[in-house]
Amino acid sequence: MYPLYSRRKMLQSASCGFGSLALSGLLGQQSLRAADSANLQSRPPRFPARAQRVIFLCMSGGPAQMDTFDYKPQTGKKPHPGSVYNFKQHGESGLQISELFPETAKHADKLCLLNGMYCDTGIHAQSFLQLHTGDRLRERPSLGAWVSYGLGTESQNLPGFISLNTSRPSTEGSSFLPAIFQGTPIGVNGEDMSKATIADVSGSLLPPKTRRTQLDFIQRLNRRHQQQSPGDTKLESVIQSMELGFRMQATAPDLLDISTEPQHVLDKYRVGKSITKGTCKPSDFGRQCLLARRFAEAGVRFIEVNHGSWDQHKNHRADLTANCETVDAPIAALLEDLDQRGLLDDTLVVWGGEFGRPGLTPGNGKNETGHNSNGFTFWMAGGGVKPGFAYGKTDGTGARAVEGKMHFRDLHATILHLLGLPPNELTYHHAGRDHRLTGPEGGRIVTDIFA
Amino acid sequence: MVIIRRRNGYFPHAIPPPTGIENGPVFTILRELIMKLHHFIATLLATVFPFAAFSAEKIDDAKRKFFESRIRPVLVESCYECHSSGAKKVGGKLLLDSPDALRDGGESGAPMVAGKPDASLLIHALRYENDLEMPPEKPLPETVIADFIKWINMGAPDPRASDPDKKAEAPTLERQYKEGELWSFQAVEDPSPPSVKNTSWPRSSIDRFVLAKIEKEKLTAASDATPQNLIRRLSIDLTGLPPSFDEVQGFTDSFQAKGQEATIELINQLLASPHFGERWGQHWLDVARFAESNGNDGLSRNPTFPHAWRYRDYVIAALNEDTPYDQFLTEQIAGDLLEHSSPEQRDRFLTATGFLAIGSKPAKAMNNNFNMDVVADQIEVVSTGLLGLSVGCARCHDHKFDPIPTKDYYALAGFFTSTEPLWGIAANEKLTAPPTQLHLLTTPPKSPPPPGVAEKVALIESKSNKNNPPPKKEFTYPVGAPLAMGVRDRKKPANCKINLKGDAKKLGAEVPRGFLTAYPEKLLPAASVSGNQSGRLELAAWVTDSEHPHTARVMVNRIWLHLFGQAIVGTPDDFGVYGDRPTHPELLDHLATRFVKDHKWSIKAMIREIVLSRTYQLATEGTPESLQLDPENKLLTRHLQRRLDAESLRDTILKVSDQLNVQSADGSIIRHLNVLVNHAGNLHEPSNHRSVYLCRLRNSPPPELAAFDLPPAIKVTGKRNETTLPTQALFLLNSEFVLGQSQLFAKAVSTESSSEKRIQKLWQKAYNRAPSSTETADALYLVENVGSESDIEPWTTLAQSLFASNEFRYVD
Repeated sequence: MYPLYSRRKMLQSASCGFGSLALSGLLGQQSLRAADSANLQSRPPRFPARAQRVIFLCMSGGPAQMDTFDYKPQTGKKPHPGSVYNFKQHGESGLQISELFPETAKHADKLCLLNGMYCDTGIHAQSFLQLHTGDRLRERPSLGAWVSYGLGTESQNLPGFISLNTSRPSTEGSSFLPAIFQGTPIGVNGEDMSKATIADVSGSLLPPKTRRTQLDFIQRLNRRHQQQSPGDTKLESVIQSMELGFRMQATAPDLLDISTEPQHVLDKYRVGKSITKGTCKPSDFGRQCLLARRFAEAGVRFIEVNHGSWDQHKNHRADLTANCETVDAPIAALLEDLDQRGLLDDTLVVWGGEFGRPGLTPGNGKNETGHNSNGFTFWMAGGGVKPGFAYGKTDGTGARAVEGKMHFRDLHATILHLLGLPPNELTYHHAGRDHRLTGPEGGRIVTDIFA
Repeated sequence: MVIIRRRNGYFPHAIPPPTGIENGPVFTILRELIMKLHHFIATLLATVFPFAAFSAEKIDDAKRKFFESRIRPVLVESCYECHSSGAKKVGGKLLLDSPDALRDGGESGAPMVAGKPDASLLIHALRYENDLEMPPEKPLPETVIADFIKWINMGAPDPRASDPDKKAEAPTLERQYKEGELWSFQAVEDPSPPSVKNTSWPRSSIDRFVLAKIEKEKLTAASDATPQNLIRRLSIDLTGLPPSFDEVQGFTDSFQAKGQEATIELINQLLASPHFGERWGQHWLDVARFAESNGNDGLSRNPTFPHAWRYRDYVIAALNEDTPYDQFLTEQIAGDLLEHSSPEQRDRFLTATGFLAIGSKPAKAMNNNFNMDVVADQIEVVSTGLLGLSVGCARCHDHKFDPIPTKDYYALAGFFTSTEPLWGIAANEKLTAPPTQLHLLTTPPKSPPPPGVAEKVALIESKSNKNNPPPKKEFTYPVGAPLAMGVRDRKKPANCKINLKGDAKKLGAEVPRGFLTAYPEKLLPAASVSGNQSGRLELAAWVTDSEHPHTARVMVNRIWLHLFGQAIVGTPDDFGVYGDRPTHPELLDHLATRFVKDHKWSIKAMIREIVLSRTYQLATEGTPESLQLDPENKLLTRHLQRRLDAESLRDTILKVSDQLNVQSADGSIIRHLNVLVNHAGNLHEPSNHRSVYLCRLRNSPPPELAAFDLPPAIKVTGKRNETTLPTQALFLLNSEFVLGQSQLFAKAVSTESSSEKRIQKLWQKAYNRAPSSTETADALYLVENVGSESDIEPWTTLAQSLFASNEFRYVD
């Protein structure tokens, strides 16, 4: 059912073995079925990449776009749904940003607003799954897993995909992709992120050399055991993750220890500050952003940072304010740090949630919103996208995307392309057919936003 | 195409509106807005409108004229866009274009009370009152609203039905399902086992169902598992513990002599073991979202449930006694209402109702919906846990996919609003939950805290309770009194009213207590319940009705999952439209029939029948063709190699290092701690009891289990996640538990006379087999090379390596 490539057909008709194609088979020509690519070795992109890694600031619950990044002033005499907070133009680009994001607004000239997002459903669980995996009903590999699969990771001592303050395993899973690509969670949404860490990451009493000798012994046992189940990607992944866990001991403890950061940096990120109010759950979002920067520097390919819930129905204004206040300064600090270190050039920062919300109508006293999957906003920064740029539009009341429309599969396609991966050709053979992140329909690469 | 029609006329038959007007240009601008807010009016309304008021024949000319000139044009112009059968998308299933539709109303009931405009939600909406606003873009003029009030005062005469031209059209509102989507609501069949070509292969009817599909795909099944693999598989599956080396030897010899006879003996022995209930009890505790603390209430407070363990022990005992599943469910839903024949039985029944009280609750503070949140948890555990259906969405709106309307939700809710949950004093923190009494049991002995512990208890309690006055006397019991969480009927059971959009402060129509209505009438007749009791007995009887299409199917599917690592319905908690279809529908029905009709709901008998099948006893090595064409093993051509779950891994380590305490634990480490977990610090203590007895605090799992996908116990978990993460490797390499047990494991073999013998013993204990010569050489190399550099005994390093290896952690 998927478009296939002539080279693939040729290979098939020539009865070439699948497994022997190894890494060259990752893209286009042939997807893999066995364990050949089931490792985190860094793999070159298919074509020159604009971004090397992704930090996804996932705003679970559906942020209200019209009170954040999609300015909808009142028009005409009759009040209509729109922005109920003040907006101002910022930077040289003059992007309109709400007063709820004063710190982030200072970086307006780094942002690329995507105001024409839309998706299929206003049901949280399904849309959240679709945002992460492209499919809203079945468990499928997460975007981060696809990226790890396509590119491996720059650091062999860390997972390719780390998910901070995660909410459910299905959104960071690898599904049919080898398990080595699944996200490693740190902390659980709704619990105290200030202490969240990787358990047992250090503590072995053995000297390093002995540890290595021991691991080699374990892996020899494992290899022999694996030979009884040839072609089993699961056991291969267990062996890989044993190796990875072992190597993390060398790197992860220092990375997780943010006490080495100067106080002004901790302050800038507002580490340790959490607001617990209505739907705004304690998340120590600043620590998450700081960890994200450190992981990005260390070469982790895909870092997801979570905050939620933005599902503020009844007490919209107060809860939205708390959510924005929680994330605003840390995001600004992250953008600033990435920029200063030259990392923003090849780090793609993505901000957004599973859908948006209908706007409130000024003056009618109402303070309740619902879900809107027909029009909402994401933004990107760095990673080769146009800075200080707004792409896409919703209609006059922000209800529906009308211009520059981007579905999640278009978002996925664009992200993969920025990373140097052809989105519709990055496939994996499973249960008799090739699967891809962008699904049967495929995704549109939105080149209009490329710098 | 299957169209579901609701028996109770829930979906009204609509009459199409006059054409033309509502599609005019004036409305196109508003369309977007109205569509967006269509849901708003959906959840309006409810009350009973006397049927006679709508009778078309009696409408006199004046009233007809009033309707035609003042009401109908407004309806057409301002409402039909979203609330007519011609609408693109009907708002909240509310139609206003026929008298029948007006009477029946939308998702939540009728919009008008004849003669009572102030009680009519339609008027509230027109007036923009009570958070109801229609039309959404702006209110209608006062004069128009006054017309509607006048009309309702007249009795809301509606002549539209008498217009013969506009009668015919079929309603567009009914939910339409694709063929087969509602398979699980249909009666369980008793299909005959199909004929197969290879008649010597099947050992039972299960095998014939499986083989028929394999043969159809022209594949072949794997060979039989070796006796060594089979005994390990059976031991882990039935008891969660591995066999000893001697047991493996014994079984292998016996199998060679007696074949299947030996397997039957083994199975009988394992089913009779008290460890059976500990293993299968854990499976049920996952479904029952069992935990010993509330979990984060949203305000970061997490009170302990000091008495929840009694429910855990009840479950383990019930499974060991092979309590028939229908009885098991009845006790958990309505144990407090059952007649008992002894004080012991009374205590058992009361304890069973802990099922409905151990859920995780959001904080009471500032939460008007608290009581209904508790009810929601109870409905979820009954519907998802027992029936494989998610009903929860219908709390706020009709289920988007499954045939479960809001009315059904509140019919079920009535059972639970008539029921008083007993969770105790919630760490004496009223902001988390108001205090309740508990069941005071009469037969278990009192168990006051040991002297040394009491002080510790008081210390922690005083710390967390420093600002709170002590609980009132009615909520306190003598020290050490045997108590259990559970439920009892409220003094005045009553039906529940629909909560509009799930808001307990906005009440709609009262719904008689009753059951889900989507089943075929002949199979499970719709019935409502009244009387002086909550109706939970009737609910239990309905759930355990031998004809219920879900109860038995869901349970045999759960059993199958735990024996094969994959279920026949891949989504064991979702048998709805978006759940998986069964891979073997006939087999599923066959099992469900056997379970109910032949085994009389005996879980042990059902398990016995399945594990005796050839299908269960296949090797894990599949043929190359089956691996290629069916990598997910949907056809069951082989057995899946499975990882030890969190509990089995820990228990196996403890057993192998000779540390396992096989006795059941006495209570829980928190039985005297009524505290907030978030204040108390780490409450976990090392233990050598089986993992099922470790203290299961929500948001604070036992560290020995946390790395391996322990469910969070917030919702029903029929199937655990199985992640492969580097953090698991770190647990095996660095955790205190694994290191400590490795030391003890090494010590257990330290008396052997030579290194070779030690290695042999380690292999026998960990892998139930002898090491190969290569392995012995490797192990010797390791022991000789790590010794000089480390403070850790080299044999500990070797022992740990075996625990960390895949052969130890996976079952063939």
